[in-house]
Amino acid sequence: MTTAVSRPPLVRGGDRVIAGVCTGLARHLGWPVRMVRLGMAAAALAGGAGVVFYAWLWIMVPTADESAKRNARQPASPIAPAVSAPFAPPPTAATSPAAPPQAASESAGAVPADSWRNRVTGMRYGKEILLGAGLLLAAGILIARVLGVDVPLGTLIPVAAILGGAAIAWMQLDETRRAGLVDKTKADQAGGWARLAAGLALVVAGVLVMVSGSGSWEQTWLALLSSVAVLGGVALVLLPWGLKFWRDLEAERAGRVRATERAEIAAHLHDSVLQTLALIQRRAGNETDVVRLARAQERELRGWLYRDPGKDAGQLSEGINAAAAEVEDSLGHAVEVVTVGDCAMSERHEALVQAAREAMLNAARHGGGAVSVYLEVTDDAAEVFVKDRGPGFDPDAVPADRLGVRESIVGRMNRHGGTATITSSTDGTEVRLRLPLSAVASAAAASNSNGEARL
Amino acid sequence: MTSTEAGRPAPGIRVVIVDDHAIFRSGLKADLDPDIVVAGEAGTVEEATAVIAAVRPDVVLLDVHLPGGLGGGGRDVLAGSAPLLGSTRFLALSVSDAAEDVVSVIRAGARGYVTKTISGAEISDAVRRVAGGDAVFSPRLAGFVLDAFGTAPADIADDELDRLSARELEVMRLIARGYSYKEVAKELFISIKTVETHVSAVLRKLQLSSRHELTRWAAERRLL
Repeated sequence: MTTAVSRPPLVRGGDRVIAGVCTGLARHLGWPVRMVRLGMAAAALAGGAGVVFYAWLWIMVPTADESAKRNARQPASPIAPAVSAPFAPPPTAATSPAAPPQAASESAGAVPADSWRNRVTGMRYGKEILLGAGLLLAAGILIARVLGVDVPLGTLIPVAAILGGAAIAWMQLDETRRAGLVDKTKADQAGGWARLAAGLALVVAGVLVMVSGSGSWEQTWLALLSSVAVLGGVALVLLPWGLKFWRDLEAERAGRVRATERAEIAAHLHDSVLQTLALIQRRAGNETDVVRLARAQERELRGWLYRDPGKDAGQLSEGINAAAAEVEDSLGHAVEVVTVGDCAMSERHEALVQAAREAMLNAARHGGGAVSVYLEVTDDAAEVFVKDRGPGFDPDAVPADRLGVRESIVGRMNRHGGTATITSSTDGTEVRLRLPLSAVASAAAASNSNGEARL
Repeated sequence: MTSTEAGRPAPGIRVVIVDDHAIFRSGLKADLDPDIVVAGEAGTVEEATAVIAAVRPDVVLLDVHLPGGLGGGGRDVLAGSAPLLGSTRFLALSVSDAAEDVVSVIRAGARGYVTKTISGAEISDAVRRVAGGDAVFSPRLAGFVLDAFGTAPADIADDELDRLSARELEVMRLIARGYSYKEVAKELFISIKTVETHVSAVLRKLQLSSRHELTRWAAERRLL
């Protein structure tokens, strides 16, 4: 696999007759599959060498799935998985170039993955050579027996049985290797146990037949009894060691999961908080910028810490929050959002969010202090309140050419079967948007929104 | 809002600031109005319990997240100071908006909750309110209350503790919309004192109610 740079990696293919070895080999070498299969069959006739070779590849070569999963599981760079994960770039993008983190993610994703593979293949060579040598030896013995030594059939059949049992058990290993990566299901486990039992039975039967061929049944029984006793003793000795090994393995696995989590957190903090802190240090002189950066970062970090990915996707509250975030970013004005209840976004809710966004923009531009946004979704209506603490204005005195309030807020709400009221005093201005959820209203609104689309 | 707006300027309110960040404690100390005297500071649960017992302040400004104790942060301080809850009032401060943090500290006995980003004048006002026996609700806490108790008004058959009355709902809604107590009073044509009574009643319900919907709501958010 040292030449694997220019070739596809050697993995067992999905298009399989037995185990996909020939397909994988053909793909790796760039030869036609049919030729590889014929060659393998021919080699199998030549004293079983092909069978041994096939078995060796079967054991040593991972399937495409396995290989992909293993590569994904153990990323070379701890930063790589989190950075390449599809989460939105930090909101500092408004003031900072978003390019560096992206470039970093690309390089981190591509380069170390290769180096990792090389390292692993290097590590695995020792095992491969050892096993290959053993199998070659077995093949040599097989050929020698066929050519020179006269082997009685009574010995060959039990040997075949033993080999068959071993093969079945090895298939089991192949399965568990996959099962270790994928979540084990009960069915898989049951199949594995059945296979293990079948393999054991075959091996035991083969050994029994072989041994009993050379002596009487009584002797065989004695031998069986003593070997069981020996096996029991060995198991007794090895059990603690095996248990310890298993525990170490579990601990290591847990540690790796923790390390991955840590890496994800580190990557996130690096891309968001540290970048923002660096920006804040550079812009320490400009108070508005610092406040804006701090607000945006706070919002982003909060979202990351407390988000509930399954629950919040495509909800009305998310739309309102996104609109508030947008206003905060563009105008550098704090917008506090409180939501009670929630529902899935529809086309009409989109209009509500747009109207609310317009109201927030007005409040942030003209009002002073924090802008309060309150969304309440009940069984019959969705309501949004946008309040500021500005000097107030007279809604009726707004010039006709100013589209902000009249068109974007009131007009839009009316078109979608909702209402918008604006109350203003010297204490501040509040825009109340109400969108009923009833079916009649929504049908009327659907026709209205069609009309709007044509306009 | 100034002290005259709060209705009763109570001179010389003694407070203890509990927060694990010294920089925040000193900042808050500088921000508080001169009529509020900082009588002690603490940075961990153990320190806080000892300082509060020794100083017996009027109000404790309590950070929700604190090191030490049983890992419960501000709740552990409240549990440790349980005998003093009659005379000393607790106002929770937090950078976290997470419902579990806010509601659990309220249910442990805090009289109000404000975020750490509010201004010195606002926090001074909140301290005066809490010292006067009232509850302080931020818009977000009002939102949590509405979310937990539901937005439908009370049935008469229901347990009094388990639902908000129509008036309490109105008050909570207005607070969630960003209204100050004064603005709520103006909007509903009631006195500020009445608004405070309603808010205190809601606080009591939030602390004492074992309502099944509150429990379910809390379970959804992994509270309690």
